[in-house]
Amino acid sequence: MLRKTLLVFVLGVLITPVLFAQVYLTRNGTIRFFSEASLENIEATNRQVSSALNIENGEFVFRLPMRSFAFEKALMQEHFNDNFVESHKYPNASFEGEIHGFREADLLSGEEIEVMVEGELTIKDVTKGITERGTLRMEDGDILGSAVFVIKPEEYNIRIPTRYVRNIASEIEVFVDVRLSDKL
Amino acid sequence: MKTWKIVLLAVVVLGIIAALLVYFLVYNKPHPDYATMDPDMELPAEQLYRDFVNDEQRAHERYNGKVLQVQGQLAEVEQVDDMVILSFVFEEGMFGGEGVRCTMLESYKEEALSLAAGTHVTVKGFCTGFTGSDVILEHSSIP
Repeated sequence: MLRKTLLVFVLGVLITPVLFAQVYLTRNGTIRFFSEASLENIEATNRQVSSALNIENGEFVFRLPMRSFAFEKALMQEHFNDNFVESHKYPNASFEGEIHGFREADLLSGEEIEVMVEGELTIKDVTKGITERGTLRMEDGDILGSAVFVIKPEEYNIRIPTRYVRNIASEIEVFVDVRLSDKL
Repeated sequence: MKTWKIVLLAVVVLGIIAALLVYFLVYNKPHPDYATMDPDMELPAEQLYRDFVNDEQRAHERYNGKVLQVQGQLAEVEQVDDMVILSFVFEEGMFGGEGVRCTMLESYKEEALSLAAGTHVTVKGFCTGFTGSDVILEHSSIP
């Protein structure tokens, strides 16, 4: 189903009157999250993030395998996959949307520009709208994109058992970093 | 020493041992050593890719979270930052060559970098899923 969603989006990107070269891509973007709670801080990083950005109209898509999040502690990684996000039932997360106020010409200066990112984030079986600030910068022909946003696990049907409430924050910071290229 | 003191001391010592065991074997247990694990399945890389393309949900149930050993003709050896990735390619798509991408363990990077495209290779790795274009194997090694 998610593959179909991605394909529909990608086709949409291509069918619009733009050239193929105007789509910037990566297969190894990074999404990291950080939870700060009273008993411990938890951090996990996923470096298997696929992403496409149409610089003609600002539309973008992210897709990532949930099981690719790497934790320092093996036990926490097991709990994350088996109990919290249920990677066996919901193997991917995705984020699709648009960068507002985005103009290709703004990037050519090489300066970092601040943008508004609006889209729909799907984790498990829940899709919610998100609007956050992000930055874009052109470097050596690639586009570097970054954004930070906060999600609440409970809003995505991620139930934290009572015994872990002091281990896991109710609000999780998510950091997105991608280097998008027009040639992979 | 009085009996109750001996019992108390034994309880304390056993409690400390139990706490240490829980700390090291459960809370701080190490990540699996994927390079020495026996694969759950062995199959051609192309079959793995086609199974995900044809029926993603079923393929996730079958392969996701498993250690897989795949064989095929190597298409590319890629370096992305500090990652070394061996790619098997079976289709051309939005992302260029699409297929199975194996991110190598640190101790296998050098060997992976020495491989030439076109070589028939066997790679073992932990399947973390499908990005819509590629099947991902992580913690990969060359058995």
